[in-house]
Amino acid sequence: METRLSATATPRNQTAPHRSSKSYGFSRRSLGVELTSRLGCTPGQLTAVRIPTNRGIPKPRNITEQVDPEHIALIVKKEWKLSYVTPLYQFGHTQLQSYSRQLAAFLAAEKQQGVAVEVGQELGFKVVFTAVLGLAETDDDAETVLIQIHSKSAFAAEGEAAKLTWSGWLSCVSGDVEYLRSMPPDFTCLPLFGASGAESLTTLVKSWFERTFDCYFGPLAINSTNLEWLAALWTGCHPDTNIRYLKLAWTIPAQPPLDVSYTVHPQDAWELWNSIRQESGLRDTVDIEEVSCFIKGLESHLFRHFRIYLSAGTLTKVSTTLGSAHQDGKIRITSSDMMTSVLALLTECALLKMPV
Amino acid sequence: MDDSTKQVLRQIIRRIPLNKLQNMLSKWEHLSKKQLRSLEFTQPKWLLCDNLLSICEENDLSMKHVTELEIIYRIDHPAQGSWNVCQLIDPEEEAVTADLLHFKQLFKAHLRGLISHVSVKTKKHEDGAIWIRIAWGDNFTQPNHLKPTYVVHHLQTPYVFVSGLTMKHKPLLHQALVLSAHYGGIKDVHLSGRCLTALRDLLMRQYKQVFPVKHPRLLLERSPLPSNPNIQMEHAKHAENRLQMAAEAFGEGILPKLETAVYKLETRFRENGNGMLGRREEPFRGVVKFASSNLLESLKYCVSSGMASAPVTPLLSSITQKGRNYFVITDKGPGASHTPGPNI
Repeated sequence: METRLSATATPRNQTAPHRSSKSYGFSRRSLGVELTSRLGCTPGQLTAVRIPTNRGIPKPRNITEQVDPEHIALIVKKEWKLSYVTPLYQFGHTQLQSYSRQLAAFLAAEKQQGVAVEVGQELGFKVVFTAVLGLAETDDDAETVLIQIHSKSAFAAEGEAAKLTWSGWLSCVSGDVEYLRSMPPDFTCLPLFGASGAESLTTLVKSWFERTFDCYFGPLAINSTNLEWLAALWTGCHPDTNIRYLKLAWTIPAQPPLDVSYTVHPQDAWELWNSIRQESGLRDTVDIEEVSCFIKGLESHLFRHFRIYLSAGTLTKVSTTLGSAHQDGKIRITSSDMMTSVLALLTECALLKMPV
Repeated sequence: MDDSTKQVLRQIIRRIPLNKLQNMLSKWEHLSKKQLRSLEFTQPKWLLCDNLLSICEENDLSMKHVTELEIIYRIDHPAQGSWNVCQLIDPEEEAVTADLLHFKQLFKAHLRGLISHVSVKTKKHEDGAIWIRIAWGDNFTQPNHLKPTYVVHHLQTPYVFVSGLTMKHKPLLHQALVLSAHYGGIKDVHLSGRCLTALRDLLMRQYKQVFPVKHPRLLLERSPLPSNPNIQMEHAKHAENRLQMAAEAFGEGILPKLETAVYKLETRFRENGNGMLGRREEPFRGVVKFASSNLLESLKYCVSSGMASAPVTPLLSSITQKGRNYFVITDKGPGASHTPGPNI
């Protein structure tokens, strides 16, 4: 955004929060635990963030003008396993180089536990932290951070370049302004974490973050309501970018489990969505009723043929050529045009998991 | 033994799990008892394979013998790769009396007449089916034994099961089959799956079927102390009804193991009430795929548990009734080209 003063500066809120009932002397994590025990309810119930019932119409946005295309290329097309992250304590976008060294050393140390090491030997990992500038939508969003780990395999030939074996990112796009502003100083909120690569490295990276920034990682599932939002969001793009297909997949708890997938012709899917939008008078926002009407329409069309109650099962996956999302928190974004809209929706899911 | 024979043998050995290898080699009958005993099956597979190769070289075995091992293994483990089903149509008089030897000779002769480099090997299975292994070449190349086509045919039935066939060789195989089995033509049944026996059982109705009866059977399990006899009775009646419907549509006991069913929908979008796409005449296009480790079992469960409403829609019961798992659904109804209408 043009109005941003300095893109690299970590947004910090200088105004202290006026919430007498809470003390920030503890870490965020222990605070959550403490609140739970003292007030007898889970931290999630205290959250001010609510699930929205309507959203602005997502417009395909050419972000290549603001964001380095090389950075985008690193994010699109890979499948990411999502997690949520509680706010990071004393994280600075200016310190990225030092974090790179620290994480590389941490990884090497963890990997070599119990193995005799030659002194002065070159570390097996090269870590690069990069700030992806321009993805943030508002001044309160912290800039996205991309982490890449290159490593040499044990059998690599002499002089062979290290390969990219793991990548991940921490992001916040159009986060809830009220929540972000209520953040105490020294905390940076990058609630959405995506990882792609070996599970063992993901675990190590998470534990390094948890130790260094006193935060907590948890798995982020995408519930069926959000999958429906994504299906509608992608379908709505069809006139601008051909979505090629809209595929919905359900799992029915029969014995053995039955997978039902429905691949809809892109034009027909869009015409159905458009007719629902026309019906409710083409406003600037999309209501959740319209989204569920769209999915219900497709479900009842299926029911008419097969008489199977899809509501007995769960919607597990939606995909189009623009991207795919799985219930268990796996996501693939193939088009940079829709990247910010999808990330904004996922940021919202992650923020709902934050302790307050 | 030349290099390609060795390569094929290595590939076959690689595919056979170590615990089944001994059994397969003794069934193969090309190694002496002494040679078989000399092989150590606790060795790593590559080492075992090297030893086996040197024995085969000693016995002077050729490609013909090596491919025999593959057939034996495939016959014992048919659930590998995907099988497609074809149906021979318009039988001639000789079709009924065809015997195995005659069919074999004719098939080989016809196929060799169509394509110059082709290697055909046949074996009769205990259940009477003839197994044919075809390695295809073309005018300039030798048959490729690494990617063979398998054909299974039960004489006196119109069904042919094919696995690993490319589009290029399809017309050749079809022509050879039609000519040697004395039929007028061949068509695709639109049934496919991994489990060969399941496809056969489904088509030949070799599973326990249930037919509509006038006097419903008694439910086996009945709770001893009904809290409210009327409600219990009502529920039991519904449950019994669902079970009966499910069994009528999909059969009883162990059902043939199908993995998928695909429906191409080209029907109009109709939605009760709020008039979405109300005046639209064009079909609403889409493809619906059902997948499960045992599809018929899953569908039956859906119906009997109430996750699908009874009676079973003809679209789903057509899988067993018509013996196919690929359908194109249009609004024109049953009259149109062999596709069942939605009937709803």
